[in-house]
Amino acid sequence: MGKYIVKRLVLMIPTLLGVAVLIFFLMRVVPGDLVELRFAGESAFAQKENLDTERARLGLDQPLWKQFLVWIAGVVRLDFGKSMWTGAPIIEEIKLRFALSLQLAIMATIIAVLLAIPLGVLAALKQDTWVDYTVRIVSIAGLATPSFWLGIVFILGLLIVFKWLPPMVYTPFWVNPWQNMLQLIWPALAVGYRYSAVATRMTRSAMLEVLREDYIRTARAKGLWEQLILSRHALKNAMLPVLTVIALEFAFLMGGLVVTEQVFNLNGLGLLFVEAVAHRDYTLTQALVMLVAFVFIFVNFLVDLAYAWLDPRIRFR
Amino acid sequence: MRRRLGLLTVILAATLAVPAGAQEKPRYGGELIFAVPSEPPSYDAHREETFGVIHPLAPHYNTLLRPDPADKTATRIVGDLAESWTISKDGRTYTLKLRRGVKFHDGSEMTSKDVKASYDKIIFPPAGVASDRKGEYLDVEAVQAPDPYTVVFRLKWTSGSFLMSLASPWNWIYKADILAKDMRWYETNVMGTGPFVFVEHVKGSHWVGKRNPNYWDKGKPYLDGYRAIFIRDSAAQVSAVRGERAHIQFRGFSPAERDNLVAALGSKIAVQESPWDCALLVAMNHEKKPFDDKRVRRALTLALDRYQGSQALSKIAIVKEVAGVQVPGTPFATPPAELEKLVGYWRDINKSRAEARRLLKEAGVADGFAFTFKNRGIPMPYEPVGIWLIDQWRQIGLNVKQEVIEAAKYYAELRGGNFEAAMDFQCGYIVEPDLDLYKFQSKDKSPANYSRYTDRVLDELYEKQSRAVDADERRKAIREFERRLVDEEAHYLYTLQWHRIIPHNARVRGWTVSPSHYLNQQLDTVWLAE
Repeated sequence: MGKYIVKRLVLMIPTLLGVAVLIFFLMRVVPGDLVELRFAGESAFAQKENLDTERARLGLDQPLWKQFLVWIAGVVRLDFGKSMWTGAPIIEEIKLRFALSLQLAIMATIIAVLLAIPLGVLAALKQDTWVDYTVRIVSIAGLATPSFWLGIVFILGLLIVFKWLPPMVYTPFWVNPWQNMLQLIWPALAVGYRYSAVATRMTRSAMLEVLREDYIRTARAKGLWEQLILSRHALKNAMLPVLTVIALEFAFLMGGLVVTEQVFNLNGLGLLFVEAVAHRDYTLTQALVMLVAFVFIFVNFLVDLAYAWLDPRIRFR
Repeated sequence: MRRRLGLLTVILAATLAVPAGAQEKPRYGGELIFAVPSEPPSYDAHREETFGVIHPLAPHYNTLLRPDPADKTATRIVGDLAESWTISKDGRTYTLKLRRGVKFHDGSEMTSKDVKASYDKIIFPPAGVASDRKGEYLDVEAVQAPDPYTVVFRLKWTSGSFLMSLASPWNWIYKADILAKDMRWYETNVMGTGPFVFVEHVKGSHWVGKRNPNYWDKGKPYLDGYRAIFIRDSAAQVSAVRGERAHIQFRGFSPAERDNLVAALGSKIAVQESPWDCALLVAMNHEKKPFDDKRVRRALTLALDRYQGSQALSKIAIVKEVAGVQVPGTPFATPPAELEKLVGYWRDINKSRAEARRLLKEAGVADGFAFTFKNRGIPMPYEPVGIWLIDQWRQIGLNVKQEVIEAAKYYAELRGGNFEAAMDFQCGYIVEPDLDLYKFQSKDKSPANYSRYTDRVLDELYEKQSRAVDADERRKAIREFERRLVDEEAHYLYTLQWHRIIPHNARVRGWTVSPSHYLNQQLDTVWLAE
């Protein structure tokens, strides 16, 4: 198992390096220029000399290969530099937003898992009954409803019915848990519902497949207790694809909730990402892409470990 | 119909409610919460361009002069750190007397040394320091500080705009000793003389300031503090005001958003409106045929029914006034009766369009001639005005395709001349002809002249108005400039003036809307009613 883990960890390096090369050069291909946008945008007075000074200060006047080497040398030392737009250290720009995005992703995942697994199992056990149909309707509605739209409905509902709006400024959980929950529970519910719909569908179909396996029939034939068959033999095996779906969704939530963050005015990674790209803030965009890529790779790594734990055939292979 | 009338009555009542509030005795206390749709890239106003710097940070600073916060046109100048000023007979020396006893937030006294250091940074920045407004002070020869409470500006030539440029909302007075040690210190730190002291900035989230107990203007500010919340999405800004999470958003809302707030909050909301010192323009690339022909350019402006467009578009977009090169209602604006004589501003649209068709025919442009109009990828107000333009041009037989371009690429396209006709804009941070007209000088003088022409007559007129000290003489030069720009040569096409709409919590008092969202943001006069 130890050898397996080391192998997987080493494999992360070339993947991250590939992402680094790709994002660095892709950003330079996109038309537009940070300096022009920031200093010449709305000003009729922007002097070329001023723009050149700024480009030189940001190192944008250097050849691309040199810019890449400087940046990648920093990345290797885990120094992502400063944001070209704000001049603040990138770690500072990301820190607060990361905490919010992570908390939101965890809350949405908890909501999704709490809904999806019982509902998915129930639907599979009661296949083609009213229970199954109800679960299917609820989950298909979840798939069809964008979470930002549900967010808007929540906000309008709260405003119209209770004349109340969730707080618009993030308070960390350890500072004031109540305020924190008041703000984040609504987006977590909006996102968690859609997320649970995906997981419910997957749980149901995986359970249906496993319940038809020979070893389940054998267990029943042996007279094993039904609860034990379901929890130890069926659910554990059915969890493999469900775990993949949950993990990928979790990784997506870390940077992909742009519109939901806008609707609830959440200071998360998604909005930071969009602004960094819109501002052509190369250093910040590169750092964010690297972060999200790392989250995806790391979550996949954890899933693989979980696979190995759930299915002994994998760890012995 | 009855519902619409009802809403109209409520909006009117909300709009009229404001001046009455201005007469009341200010109340002390409370925290003003406002939404800001943008965030400061750095904290140094001398180098930045966005109102995202002004809104949260201006309450920490003072400028030498400022537009009177109670003046809706923002063209009446009053002293801020300067209590009086004189202009020499030859119009080239401005002497300003500073207030005594003004303290920076660290307790040190503000003197002329600080003013000189701040203006030197703006006008004569050292190598490696960017000053975005250096080009606006080409007329300044030297800034002097003969004694601690006197500042002298010596000009190379006379200027009709210089006093107004000392009221620029960007020209915050910084501390000389700090600048001497580090010219870039103010990019990441705050320390001014303003009515509010900096408390915290949480990136992407909010900005907090608290009352400066040692403020030089005794009795002010009225508020205990303020909190600026960064909210990018306009629907979320509306929700914030509606849910009373924010009292106001100082940049502006759309007509639909105003109506939504008024309908939901009734008497709890007040509305202030003003023509905005922003106009949407059409740049016609003189380097591309047939836009090098002024008959074609004149035809394009003649096709527009601005008066009808104003009525229709002002219901859905933040544009309203039909105007020339100056904000309507301000000292140098062309009166409507005179404006109507210019090509494209005639009241009879049938006559205009017949003339447009004649000009196109004369220029050899066939019926159904197709070209691409490049528009900026920002929905409000670019999208509705772009659609309107295409429809107007269709009515003189032109077949126009719109291409919407993302903001960062948009500037590259315009600067590179990679377009036939494109949406452009002119936004001023203060109503001043020098700022509003600079853009339209020949391309070798103005990098923002996206129509890419050279017109020495226009350059001369610009200089003439800029150096005129007598208001009437200046007005005359501005009229000539305007006629040449939009009528005779039709280098640029003005569509409609933006219209600023500020619906805010009725508790907010002491704040007056102006034509610029960069002005009146010190918050020293603002208070919250019970």
